[in-house]
Amino acid sequence: MKDFEPVIVAFCCHYCAYTAADMAGSKRLFYPSNVKIIRVPCSGKVDSLHIIKAFEKGADGVYVAGCLEGDCHFKNGNDKAAKKVAHMSKYLEEIGIEPERLEMVRMSAGMGERFAQVASEITDKIRKLGPSPIKAAAA
Amino acid sequence: MITAERKPLEEILAYIKPFKRILLLGCNECVTVCAAGGRKEVGVLASGIQMSMLKNGTSIEIREHTLERQCDPEYVEELLPMIDSADAVLSMACGCGVQQLATRFKDKPVFPAVNTKFMGGSDRHGVWTERCQGCGDCLLGLTGGICPIAKCAKQLMNGPCGGSARGVCEIGEDVDCAWHLIWERLKALDLTEQYLEIMPAKDWRPGGGSGPRKIIREDLAE
Amino acid sequence: MQKTERSQTNNRVLVVGGGLGGIRTALDLAEAQKDVVLIDRANNIGGLMTQLDRTFPTNNCDLCTLAPHLSESNRHEHISLMAMTEVQGISGEKGNFTVSLATRPRYINLEKCTGCGECLQQFPECVSFTPGLDHRAPTCMRYPQNTPQAYAIDLSKCDDVAGLVKCCPAGAINPDDLGSNGDIACSSIVMSPGASLFDPSGLDYLGYSENPDVVTSLEYERILSASGPTQGRLVRPSNGAQPKKVAWIQCIGSRGLQKGAAPYCSGACCMFALKEAMVTKERFQEDIETTIFYMDMRTFGKDYERYYERARDEFGVRFIHSRPHSILQHPGSDQLELGYTVDSNSSLQTEEFDMVVLSTGFKIGDQAKELANRLGLELTSSNFPANPGLNQVETSTPGIYVAGTFQGPKDIPETMVQASAAACMAGKDVTPLEADSEQEPLLPPERNVVGEEPKVGVFICDCGENIGGVINVESLITRLEKLNHVIVVKAEGHGCSRESMENIRQTIEELGVNRVVIGGCSPRTHESKFQDLIRKAGLNKYLLEFANIRDQVTWVHGHQPEQALNKAEALIKMAVGAVCESQPLADHSLPINKNVLVVGGGVTGMTSALELADQGFKVYLVERTATLGGVAAKLYRTLEGDDIQDFVSNLIKRTKDHEGIEVITGGIIVDHSGMPGMFTTGMQVGRQMFYRQIEHGVTILATGARPNRPELFELGNSKAIATQLELQELIDQDAARVKTWDNVVMIQCVGSRTADNPNCSRICCQNAVKNALSIVELNPEARVFVLYRDMRTYGFQEEYFQKAREKGVIFVRYQQDNPPQVDHADDQATVTYHDPILVREVKVSADFLALSTGLVADEDSSEELAMVFKLPRTEDGYFLEDHIKLRPVDLPVPGFFVAGTAHAPKTISESLIQARAVASRAMTILAREAINLGAVTAKVDSARCASCLVCVRACPFDVPFINADGYSEIDPAKCHGCGMCASECPAKAIQLLQFEDDQVLSKIEQLFEKVVA
Repeated sequence: MKDFEPVIVAFCCHYCAYTAADMAGSKRLFYPSNVKIIRVPCSGKVDSLHIIKAFEKGADGVYVAGCLEGDCHFKNGNDKAAKKVAHMSKYLEEIGIEPERLEMVRMSAGMGERFAQVASEITDKIRKLGPSPIKAAAA
Repeated sequence: MITAERKPLEEILAYIKPFKRILLLGCNECVTVCAAGGRKEVGVLASGIQMSMLKNGTSIEIREHTLERQCDPEYVEELLPMIDSADAVLSMACGCGVQQLATRFKDKPVFPAVNTKFMGGSDRHGVWTERCQGCGDCLLGLTGGICPIAKCAKQLMNGPCGGSARGVCEIGEDVDCAWHLIWERLKALDLTEQYLEIMPAKDWRPGGGSGPRKIIREDLAE
Repeated sequence: MQKTERSQTNNRVLVVGGGLGGIRTALDLAEAQKDVVLIDRANNIGGLMTQLDRTFPTNNCDLCTLAPHLSESNRHEHISLMAMTEVQGISGEKGNFTVSLATRPRYINLEKCTGCGECLQQFPECVSFTPGLDHRAPTCMRYPQNTPQAYAIDLSKCDDVAGLVKCCPAGAINPDDLGSNGDIACSSIVMSPGASLFDPSGLDYLGYSENPDVVTSLEYERILSASGPTQGRLVRPSNGAQPKKVAWIQCIGSRGLQKGAAPYCSGACCMFALKEAMVTKERFQEDIETTIFYMDMRTFGKDYERYYERARDEFGVRFIHSRPHSILQHPGSDQLELGYTVDSNSSLQTEEFDMVVLSTGFKIGDQAKELANRLGLELTSSNFPANPGLNQVETSTPGIYVAGTFQGPKDIPETMVQASAAACMAGKDVTPLEADSEQEPLLPPERNVVGEEPKVGVFICDCGENIGGVINVESLITRLEKLNHVIVVKAEGHGCSRESMENIRQTIEELGVNRVVIGGCSPRTHESKFQDLIRKAGLNKYLLEFANIRDQVTWVHGHQPEQALNKAEALIKMAVGAVCESQPLADHSLPINKNVLVVGGGVTGMTSALELADQGFKVYLVERTATLGGVAAKLYRTLEGDDIQDFVSNLIKRTKDHEGIEVITGGIIVDHSGMPGMFTTGMQVGRQMFYRQIEHGVTILATGARPNRPELFELGNSKAIATQLELQELIDQDAARVKTWDNVVMIQCVGSRTADNPNCSRICCQNAVKNALSIVELNPEARVFVLYRDMRTYGFQEEYFQKAREKGVIFVRYQQDNPPQVDHADDQATVTYHDPILVREVKVSADFLALSTGLVADEDSSEELAMVFKLPRTEDGYFLEDHIKLRPVDLPVPGFFVAGTAHAPKTISESLIQARAVASRAMTILAREAINLGAVTAKVDSARCASCLVCVRACPFDVPFINADGYSEIDPAKCHGCGMCASECPAKAIQLLQFEDDQVLSKIEQLFEKVVA
């Protein structure tokens, strides 16, 4: 387990988290390379099916990163995303996957530090949880 | 419309445990509208089943398909090219759809993946409530368009019981007393005399009390 | 940059100053297909706003709102951007100016610099400007969207020039750069170089120079900013501890009280301080106390009064009506002691604070003054350009226009409005370029790739050390070559350089590549550039995917090169997977109807109509009443003394005579349909109410507001009691009666800033000052009492307020909970008020009582129009703009604009500026042949649709509907492209183009291909 490197999918809203990730880049803030970003026009575009497929294909963790409360470019996509994440967490539990592997985070476009910090924290958390149970069984 | 809710995954897994190849069938009618068994939920369930299998070190072949309507035989015929390659069928349609499949494919085990709940409608985005119990003898015309069979916990026919307080039913804070609603509505419509009329004991036979029901339109039936 | 020499004509506008206002002016002109040269003294554009953390009144992140404007302005084909450039001199006249410009040497070739930062790493002392990474100075720029994205070198500080040149992996450093001097010809000039901020160093009683914990409001803003020197941690500069008590002192350098201070009010500082205090409270809640020391709270802007109320009532910001006379620090203490007095108590109060913020105002700096002199502009005593009349953006020189804080102190929305108005004026002298003739012939026809197997070309930028320094691009290529569908993988040095772009284009054409993946920087900054490139190579621009292997890989995983390489590979694989699923998409576009509907025939509507008709557009001007002129027809003089009657009658005559304007009086709008560029509006006209329809491309609402007339203070019960509106008529029409008055009382905020009508009416304070001055001019012996809550004579109006005090007008402050009492006999009004200085009740027998009743939204017309046009309104009934900060006259429904008092209460000259601003905004649409709506829209597969209404309910903009065929329909012209319907559709019948399920799932698939197997 010592060598376990989780793969984490981050669905990032174009207007906030994706920009924050670029900002982390221009500030050269190091964070673990485990996080792989998929850009979406709004966190409200993230489909429950995409979240669950990511786990099925082998993600050890998934998070959806949307705008701060009240800041959604499309009014309420971030709040809708948070509800979907909560709903899918319950489903993961049913399947037998730790619900903590899925998370909703919020940040604004200017928060490069927060992006890097969130990426590190979530990577640490998933690393402690170990490989996703479906991968562990296959190994 | 008919509403439904996905069964616990554990129950579904128990049904399909003996099989290697599953046809997972959605329905594009009521269960799609109530977000229980449309194309999307088929995908989500397929993933969930697959992961549960992988977790136990096994795997299963799942073919996903969604019919326009599972309760009509013609649509079900669409399955002919794929039915043979499945050991069992898991249906996300209501009970009507599941039975339609069982009738058509006599040698194929068919299992429900949802619990069929009630006939109802949506109050708002994501919320559905019961509206009708199919009693076969509609009395909404006498009750201001509010059904005491579906909405009164005791299915009372002549006014509320002693458990009604401030318009709320004793079974729960969030349950309106159907008879309170009926009274308010009749008052608003100036039809309170309807309320005073005593309704005789209900004949439950048209509601299924005398066995499975059937409708035959003579002009259409062949 | 050489673009300026591409033609010798003068058919262009020179915009001086690339702050927010200058950018807006340039974009408005460019979108109207007019050429612009935008110059700025600084190394990059953006101006003051790039330093702000949050902006009032939404408290949104600034960068997020500004950044798109910055990159847009650099990309636009009609804009030539010249940084580090200043005006040396000018000759010629309106329509034909020659301006000599001097550009300082940057020693960096902008075409080559990639912003990698290698020069800064190796020769930090030689770099005079870094695009966004410097956090040494508290007021530096630090944001990733710099335009141009390039460093600047100070060669004089460099010992090893050869080494410096060699260190640049892009070869962008040019030590032989001599800068350049040259003349450009232009037809008109817009000056928006901005103002400076007052430097409080000279005010020794504030201790700003000695005490690090005394900061200016801009410095405080930088401390709060996530991109500031402390990365957003609020700390005391002296000891790094988090402050517990922060005080703001208003009017530092404004309202003429200190050494070197300006006589005017800076207008924006009250809101600025409120914002800072609120953001501070929001962050630290009970852990911090915020106190604002003020003279008058001037929250006169649209909905600003509510912001003030929220600060006080919800955030618990404390307000003290006082002007502290000193900030002291006792030896041995680290506390700042403020000494002040308050209204209710004449003895000295002291209180200790951890930090004190000085709300410093705007000032015209020496450089701006020098610039104005070089252009020969006449200046006022405060060094602002003098303005000859009612048009604020005009100067003493025809053809030279001004906007923003250089014109006068103001906030961002007003700057944006002036910027658009200046674009309207300056654009008159320039003819639009034929948009089509310039672009079309360059583009080859689009190749049809539908049905072809994907043939993906992957192009990887090493971006110098940025990518190549962390990962080995060659080994990345080796790994990628084996991928399915990939027919070519190439390293492209700096992919965005002209040379590489050309190579990529050739490769695509030669190998028949039909899908492209760029492995490089962020799609946010470069996607459109490469979209244009592959379009030039004959591919639909949506057959492109970006893998952000710089900003999101090498820049952030430089410490783990092996992992970085793996991640870069994974991201490119994901992009390849997605691009294989991509399909050619068509941008939606609609042809434009070039007619304009202006609703409202007041001065605002007429001015908009004339500006547009003068530029060749057909205008329908619809007025509900039988006559043109609106409320202004009842006014006589402005505070500055302009003759309004004369102005209005001229305007009416010009409007009626203009052959491009059809005036429809007695017209009531009843129905409306269509979309931007092709609206149809129906109305009933005249006494017979006959029905008529008009087709038009844009709609301008200039429906005005209504003079308020609340039944307060005995209004209507005595001929000695009237509104300010009635008083100004008497002054002009019955001076003999006014001369007989010995005592006149005015009461401010009658029916404004109350529970019923919470906002400030903005115009009343200056009205009271104007009328008071007129009365004492007619009768110098008259005693005028103005009873006010806060005197809101913002901007240059302050000077008239001061003049009124000099002339003996008495201003007395009253509290909302203790208003003056009014009694009346037949021809006298008795006013009793509490005088806070005498600390007693005072009774005045007034010959006349004037009530400042302000304006209210015209509920009848605005409610009806809002319904017909489906436009949102504020709580008080004014039309609600799309973005309060950056799009103050654009309405949220595309193609709709609002101007004048239909937007919010304002003075005539402010209304006229908005009238011209909407004309400019309207022209950005009218100049096009078609509107491009982009391709990211939701698309319904009707065969799958279950008509479940989920999309109808999920859409935040109410776009989907169930059509007559029983399926969901989504109008691409209205779709905003968020994808919420697609993610909620239970039948999977909706796809968001460019972000389709197949594309997203393919990314996931590719990411895990190896991991799971």
